[in-house]
Amino acid sequence: MSFISLVLIAGLFGFLVLQSVPILAEQKWDFLLGRDWWAGEVYGALPMIYGSCMVTGVASLLVLPLALGGAIFTSEFLSAKQRLWVKAMMELFAGITGIIYGLLGVALMAGWVKDSFGLIDGNTILTAGLLLGIMILPTILTLAEDALHAVPGCYRDTSLSLGLTKLQMIKSAVIPQALPGIAGAIFLGLGRAMGETIAVMLVIGGLDKIADPWYDLFAPAQSIASKLGREAAEAIGSGLQWSALMALGLVLFFMVMFLTMVGNLFLKRVR
Amino acid sequence: MGASTGNANEPLVRISVVGSTTVLPIATRTAEQFVKNSNGEVSITVNGGGSGVGIQSAGSGRADIGMASREITPREKKRFQTPGLRTYVVGRDAVACVISSEVYSSGVHALSKEQIGDIYLGKIKNWKKVGGPDREIVVIDKEAHRGTRHVFMQYVFGNERARAPGARLVIGSNNEEQAKISQSDSAIGLLSIAWMNDDVVGVGIRQAGEIIEPTLENVRNNRFPISRNLNLVIAGEPRGKVKEFVDYIMSPQGQKIVAESGFIPIHPN
Repeated sequence: MSFISLVLIAGLFGFLVLQSVPILAEQKWDFLLGRDWWAGEVYGALPMIYGSCMVTGVASLLVLPLALGGAIFTSEFLSAKQRLWVKAMMELFAGITGIIYGLLGVALMAGWVKDSFGLIDGNTILTAGLLLGIMILPTILTLAEDALHAVPGCYRDTSLSLGLTKLQMIKSAVIPQALPGIAGAIFLGLGRAMGETIAVMLVIGGLDKIADPWYDLFAPAQSIASKLGREAAEAIGSGLQWSALMALGLVLFFMVMFLTMVGNLFLKRVR
Repeated sequence: MGASTGNANEPLVRISVVGSTTVLPIATRTAEQFVKNSNGEVSITVNGGGSGVGIQSAGSGRADIGMASREITPREKKRFQTPGLRTYVVGRDAVACVISSEVYSSGVHALSKEQIGDIYLGKIKNWKKVGGPDREIVVIDKEAHRGTRHVFMQYVFGNERARAPGARLVIGSNNEEQAKISQSDSAIGLLSIAWMNDDVVGVGIRQAGEIIEPTLENVRNNRFPISRNLNLVIAGEPRGKVKEFVDYIMSPQGQKIVAESGFIPIHPN
């Protein structure tokens, strides 16, 4: 079974590499570093790489306090029954497909961001980041909670018998033990955020430009996934544009693979 | 839908139609009628995606019929040399420069080609420069392959592939454009006139001292400067049910549906 998965992934990787050869031969490093993308003339991937990183970064900054706080609360303060309730809800939400979030984003989030910050338009990096944060919150919460709950009871008992308060016990005894699992949960959530297409595509603005200044969250942008979502259908099969889009896909493949690998390395230490 | 009933000896013929969201309503409504008339022999699926996707799908064989609200570009012609693309005109439409209704009611009723160009180039950034309220303009651009954009840019800049550095957003279908402009109180965009409504108003074009409104009348008598043919694109010679479907759209019954959808029939009487 794992052999089949390996073959499929290797096949996908090989396909992406082969399809990327024309554009990389044509533009070489200018593909990764170029800031300008205009079909038929030039293909620069930097704005999309920037967009993916920014949106994922915003999502993680927003989600970490909430997910970790929620995980700690669920693991250490709730009764067994309440905990199962929370876990079930989180796992349910984690399964909701991206388009639902996308529609909610268009209908509610974009308008809210526009009005709250007095912008001319609500399709921004911040909006996409917020939406992604909401999407990956359940995943990170439930996995981090697993890590915390897996810390053996003797650590807690010993700390409490030594005279620590509950909060001190959580901070000094439980969290350090659960850290590898928590880190793993975060990286897996980020991997999902980076690949999310439709929700981001509907609220990010679709402008192939790096914001000026680069940290302006109220600017429209384009992520790798949203670019593929918008342009793939018109270029299918052949031509330099198709090769450029496939190369973008290859870049995303590497980025997500990197995040997932790091995440798994941390999780291995838990099990 | 699409069950294999009716004539037991004839296998069900499936026709796929893909492309321009401007032509989409025509294709959907004529397909409904055509399928009804065919007694279960034909099943037609219609999808959007844009003119570029329509031409691409027809040329590569992924769809039987491509829809395009623009002409085929030289690059596309060359790419699909074999078996060669054929164009069938099924109606006429105009592309309006549309703005949010709030801006229209504040006094911006017409714009010149130069003003529109400057807005899309980012030279004019505030509505007050063209007689409107003191608000920043939300410039909405379209994906580069879209037929509506080709036609609009051809008029404004003389180049169907012109860049718009002043753009704030890039969106896709006519549907999405309509939604984004009605959500904003300060937006400008480009839209097929059949898609205009109360929230999304088409401005008159100021040209040579007169103002030409984006109405069907002005398209019929060729006064409105931004108009285009609505095309079906087919690779090679259409045969069988595909040919029948195209003939149906170009027949008086089909053309009646074209007119009811808000476009100009090819032989207006």
